[in-house]
Parts: sequence; structure tokens; C-alpha cells
Amino acid sequence: MESQELDHLFSALAHPARRRMLDLVLEAPAISVKALASHFEMSRIAVMKHIKVLEECGLMLSRKEGRTRHLFFNPVPIQLVYDRWTTQYSAFWSERLADLKTRVETRAESEGNKSA
Amino acid sequence: MPDSAPSLFQVFIRGSLEAVWHEITRQDQPIPAFFNSQLHAGKLAPGSRIAMRTPDGNYTGVVGEILEIIPLKRFSHTFRFTNLEDPPCKVIYDLEQAEGGVKFTLTIVDLPVGTKTAKQMVQGGKMIVSTLRSVIETGKPSFGTRMLFVLFKLMQPFSPKACRSENWPIDEA
Repeated sequence: MESQELDHLFSALAHPARRRMLDLVLEAPAISVKALASHFEMSRIAVMKHIKVLEECGLMLSRKEGRTRHLFFNPVPIQLVYDRWTTQYSAFWSERLADLKTRVETRAESEGNKSA
Repeated sequence: MPDSAPSLFQVFIRGSLEAVWHEITRQDQPIPAFFNSQLHAGKLAPGSRIAMRTPDGNYTGVVGEILEIIPLKRFSHTFRFTNLEDPPCKVIYDLEQAEGGVKFTLTIVDLPVGTKTAKQMVQGGKMIVSTLRSVIETGKPSFGTRMLFVLFKLMQPFSPKACRSENWPIDEA
């Protein structure tokens, strides 16, 4: 993931109202903007602004049907974050384990040579 | 909207429409984004039956029928796991040119509510699109996904007999 994508994603998640919106959309896929807004005290305009931020980072998708906009949670950006770090850390640990294996085996070999 | 809402998975891929289309319709080698299974189909045309088989061809994990083929734009087919008795669902792959790449969306509809199929599809959807992006952008799936393929290979002999490919013949192209 590129740095800018990560910035957008984490700043979108760094707001309690937006996280709550994602929870609600996840619980009720295809929820309408109106139904989502009814869970919040803020104005409809403010809700729309939050939705826009979530859409821009890809966490929320919308589909229009007639005059109603239905909202969906998109788990892919979070999957990409997971992939990014598990890949790096997995690579880190596999390198360490490979080092350990080489050192232990080299030592065992030299000790084996001594005793022979 | 119907009772079971569709599940959507979307990713932006830095690559061409042609590369993405080729990757999801190729029959010459296993497709990492499809859990490293190989697509077998008759003609790539509506009505053709398809099967997603293991790289050695011995087992078939998924069968379906092509619903729509619009080159570089949409590929849609019915989808049924061979080891489950659940009714089929539909998958739709949409490609859309965007600035600097392709917007790729997987939509899963008619998921039978509360079934194993529904659970597996929702889990699998994000892996399909994130692996596709990784393959197009870097040439290979992520490290974790590659490890998963090794595991699949090890587990293959334990697949149920119902999944053996002779039970799922199709008219090969």
C-alpha cells in the first residue's frame, strides 16, 4: 500500500463517528444514507461529509437505486494493511529463523568434526 | 433491495484493464486470486459451464455457469462449492478504468443466508481482490497467501471424494 493510501485510511478511521458508521453499515449492508443518519445527532450534511471521507479511502461503497443511496462496507483496505505488515514481519521472522538454523547446524557440524 | 444484501469488495489496481481481464479469465495456469485454482471452461460465453480445479486437475472446488461476458468490463457466473449442498450464488467481476489504473469490484449476490457458502464467500471475497491487486502490481501474491497455497497443496489428499474432478465434467474448450 502506498503511503498516501495509508494516510487516508488511518485518518478516516481516526474518528469515533466514522468507526460507528462502519459498524452500522457492516451490521446492515445496503443501509440507506437516511437510515444511517438517523443513528446520529449531527446534521445530515455532517453525516454526508463523513461518508465522503469513508468512500474516498475505500472503506465504504455506495450504490444508487432510484433515488436511494445504499451503503456497503468494503473490508479490502483493511485486508491490504494486514497483508502489508504480515508480509514484512513474516519475512523478518523467517530470516531470523533461517539464521538460527544455519548457526546451530554449523556449530553441530564443527563439533561433530572435533569428536570424529 | 432483496433481503440478503449483496456483498461488495473493491480495490484499486495500478495496471491495465487488459492485464486484469487476462488474469481473471486465463485458462493456461492457476489463478492466484482464485485460491490458486485453475479455470476450466468451454467457450468463454454465457451458458458455458465452468470448473475451478486444483493445479493438477484432480479436484474441483467450485463449479458454475457463465452468465455474462463483456470483455474488459464484466465477467459474471454462478458459483457453487462442490463440497457443500448449498444453492449457488452469483459472482460479478466489474472492471472500470480509473485514473492511473483499474477499479475492480467483486459483487456477490443471492448468498444463501446463514450457510457455510455465505461465510466462506464473505471471507474469500477480500482475499480474491487483494490477491488480484498484488499479482497485477507485484507479479505475485502476498507472502501470507503464498503460504496458504502451500497449505492447500498439503491438505489436498484430504479433500472429500465428492470434490474429485471426474464428478464434475465440463465441455473443455
